[in-house]
Amino acid sequence: MAGMSPSERRLQKELMSLIKDPPPGVSVDAGIAEQNLLHWIINMEGAAGTLYEGERFQLQFKFSNKYPFDSPEVTFVGPNIPTHPHVYSNGHICLSILTDDWSPALSVQSVCLSIVSMLSSCKEKQRPPDNAFYVKTCNKNPKKTKWWYHDDSV
Amino acid sequence: MASSSSTEHTVKDNAGDGAQNPETKEEDKKDDSMFECNICLDTARDAVVSMCGHLFCWPCLHQWLETRPNRQVCPVCKAAISKEKVVPLYGRGSSKQEDPREKVPPRPAGQRTEQEPGNSFSGFGFGDNTFHMSFGIGAFPFGFFTSTFNIGDQRPHAAPQGTQQHMEEQFLSKIFLWLAIVFLTWLLMA
Repeated sequence: MAGMSPSERRLQKELMSLIKDPPPGVSVDAGIAEQNLLHWIINMEGAAGTLYEGERFQLQFKFSNKYPFDSPEVTFVGPNIPTHPHVYSNGHICLSILTDDWSPALSVQSVCLSIVSMLSSCKEKQRPPDNAFYVKTCNKNPKKTKWWYHDDSV
Repeated sequence: MASSSSTEHTVKDNAGDGAQNPETKEEDKKDDSMFECNICLDTARDAVVSMCGHLFCWPCLHQWLETRPNRQVCPVCKAAISKEKVVPLYGRGSSKQEDPREKVPPRPAGQRTEQEPGNSFSGFGFGDNTFHMSFGIGAFPFGFFTSTFNIGDQRPHAAPQGTQQHMEEQFLSKIFLWLAIVFLTWLLMA
């Protein structure tokens, strides 16, 4: 591990612990992550007893070399994007810890848990009200969006 | 992960005899992670602890405080945090007992040259740059009123009480008093 940048060192540690001791319903695609530490794919299952039970989702994490001081870019990818009031159909997620409330003490694991919990507390499957407009006009990088966090209930 | 295993190795060495027992080894690992920096997840070096009790490497915490200079909060619990309010930790093993906060900040120290002898003015306390002076023209509106409205030295007598004129004069004087107050406040605010 000599010659690794601090961000790579930390990502390597996180990857090891996520492979060894993953939280329930979350697994990392180790092959992709080991190829390029700055790009991870996480497989996620909808929690039992929630609207998303039995569904499988894929999350993409992109890290900059300023990680963990800079938040990762997290989006849903793949064939199944959850229908949720905070998830746009292009996979962008409206979640404050991914931008304003990011802290370097957070990790891939804690972000995954937040997203699982966000899905689990959903009462009614629906897209955000401004989905059509946002998807047409937004930047490819969700971190460029000026998110407006107003709904803490879901 | 070479470095991780080397850390374990050091831990084993330090623990000495108990290291052979797998259970103890597990405990050692737990103990070790107790002293991990909350940012880089390595064992904290140049360790500092926040008032809320969270442990960091000083270089890591410093970089975080620099990242968000106008919103300095603890990465773990979001309590307010600042450079002045973290406590450096000195273990017995650390060779130098120097404050880690002295080392990292890239900000260079200020240049200070000794004052030249012979300058006797410093005794007055004006030497520092904190001396302030302010002026005010407090009596201006009253002087204005007296000079404008009371010309001549023969002031008319006040009208007898109860008459219409007396009421009017009282009313006018109140208005002028309020005007003066408003004017004064405006002067102070401007």
